[in-house]
Amino acid sequence: MDRIEERQGLLSALPLSVLMVLIFVAPLIVVAVFSIMPPRVFDVLHMPSFENYRIFFTQGYYRSLGWALGMAAMATVTLFVICYPLAYAMAKIFKKFTLIITIAVVVTLFVSENIRLFGWVLTLMKGGLISGYLRTYAGIDIDGWLYNVPVIVFGLVYVYFPFMLFPLVQGISMVPEEVRQAASDLGASRTRIFFEIDLPLAMPGIVVGSLLTFVLAAGAMAESKLLGGQAVIVMADEIEAAFTFGQNWSLGSALAMILILIIGSLAFFALSRVDLDGIMGRRG
Amino acid sequence: MVNRRTFLKGTAAVAGLAALAGPRRSWAGRENELNILCWEGYNTDDVLGPFRAKHPGSRVRAESGTSDPDMINKLRAGEVNVWDLINVNQPWARNQLYPEGLIKPLNRARFEPYFDLMLPEFQGPYPLALDESGKELIGMVQRFGPFSFVVNTDKISRQMAEDQGYKLFLDPKMKGRYGVLTYDNWNIMHMCMAADLNPFAPLGESDFAKFSKVAKAIFDGAKLLTDDLVGMNTALINGEIDAYFTGGTYTASPARFDGQTQVRGITPKSGPVNGKGGVVWVEVTSAVNNPDPTPLAEDFLEFVQQPEICKVVAFAEGTYNPVTQMANPKVMALFDKDELDAIQWDSLPEEMERSVDYQIVVDYNRLNELYNAAKRS
Repeated sequence: MDRIEERQGLLSALPLSVLMVLIFVAPLIVVAVFSIMPPRVFDVLHMPSFENYRIFFTQGYYRSLGWALGMAAMATVTLFVICYPLAYAMAKIFKKFTLIITIAVVVTLFVSENIRLFGWVLTLMKGGLISGYLRTYAGIDIDGWLYNVPVIVFGLVYVYFPFMLFPLVQGISMVPEEVRQAASDLGASRTRIFFEIDLPLAMPGIVVGSLLTFVLAAGAMAESKLLGGQAVIVMADEIEAAFTFGQNWSLGSALAMILILIIGSLAFFALSRVDLDGIMGRRG
Repeated sequence: MVNRRTFLKGTAAVAGLAALAGPRRSWAGRENELNILCWEGYNTDDVLGPFRAKHPGSRVRAESGTSDPDMINKLRAGEVNVWDLINVNQPWARNQLYPEGLIKPLNRARFEPYFDLMLPEFQGPYPLALDESGKELIGMVQRFGPFSFVVNTDKISRQMAEDQGYKLFLDPKMKGRYGVLTYDNWNIMHMCMAADLNPFAPLGESDFAKFSKVAKAIFDGAKLLTDDLVGMNTALINGEIDAYFTGGTYTASPARFDGQTQVRGITPKSGPVNGKGGVVWVEVTSAVNNPDPTPLAEDFLEFVQQPEICKVVAFAEGTYNPVTQMANPKVMALFDKDELDAIQWDSLPEEMERSVDYQIVVDYNRLNELYNAAKRS
């Protein structure tokens, strides 16, 4: 009887599992298989070859990977520093005001990313909103701020702000106030409480927020295209160029696989180290 | 008897099959259906509305692509079952789509008379609208335009830009004063010409080295890179840059029509391809080799030859371009002075004279590698 019930669970999960495999895993398998096809073929019925992975190393694609990961890391660290105090206030200090901030941040997500970035282009460009006002009212002539690496990181910070903020709020709200008070009663300094109580207990939120931001920023392209004027070429750009102008699907697939493998391993490593059940509110 | 378990199994199987089936194909007759994959313009209501009115009850859909290879990828990925017409630049139809069986010939007897009404360059019919053998008509031509580079004539005179050609971008004084419009398959051709190479002939190792040096110099001196022509024109108008590599009537016309006539497409006076240095694109609209074809595909190609529709296609949203049918006085009568000025009608004949057709670059793959390496260096 027990066995039948066990099997019922398995069988009930089967349709959804099959659907998930088809939707999530099948496209990845296609990309993986394409990545070991010879360059410039449009089907998978060829002798496998690792030529595309060789090209990654010999033609300097690692530089674009480096820029993508480096700028994603910079954006993640900046976001953590900016969001932590706000998240702390939202979780512990603000009462109804938290809701207002939440709505204000969420509303920005209703406008497409490209449109918001174009807004920044118009604001930051030479003769744009800022430099135009400065010229008219203060007589100061300045160049625009676009087309460099810092403005790309700024774009990433701006676009992925909510993805760091909300997990942090969730993580910080998991830190019991009694534990902080107990530590304080026992004579711990504020710094010590921060490093030994706040940070470790909010870690699931910090890891989820950082991971979301990093993964999204590493695959982002619009910021470097629109704000950065491609001052540096990022990996997502290389993948797009290989699939389109290069008409080299297999090289594009190999570049995509390398990005997926790096980000995937990072995600597995990070998630295996935190108690995700805690942040999902299932802590027993 | 169907119990819950078999029902669930069935659901999974159906879901699986649905996901595997790929793009949907209609099994009913497709006499009243037309799907067009095109550059922006053909997908506007100004073009599709009158066609729909002419074919009441028909379902006409058009989607605009963002690049030739993007659209071709759709057909390669199996969407030949979905689309009926595809509108791409001239070499793709003849050199890739037709040999790979993704498009099929048109009824030559039905369409050949229309070529006689076109500008002289396109009569005969236009060679790149035919297959390699010259027997089959593989598409109709309408929009076209010279495409080399664009300058702000308040900063760089037209005369000087035409005389210097692409060397303008190699001048140390231009460092940090221009942008690169990243229509990569175009830039490769023009960078070859900047290096005094003919991109349409096979190149040798020393040529590749020359190309690489020029590509690096051009990227190195560029202030910005973007594939957004509006962003590029904005930078040109607000003075961030004084020129951009590459561009032409297609990219300059929206700014010109907006009154910014200092933005001007330039065709070099000379170059390494039989003395010519300009490149002209011509859109070829072809019938997709859809296994379930619709008669509306050829009807649409005939419909867009009408003078009113020619004008609408030339001045549809986004960019403004000359059309091959402008030889017809009835078409010309529909353009006013500002519109003709936007598409640089005054210099079009001489620019066409100095330009060669956009063709397949023989060593594209190798040059593309060198181009991308230069771009990221």
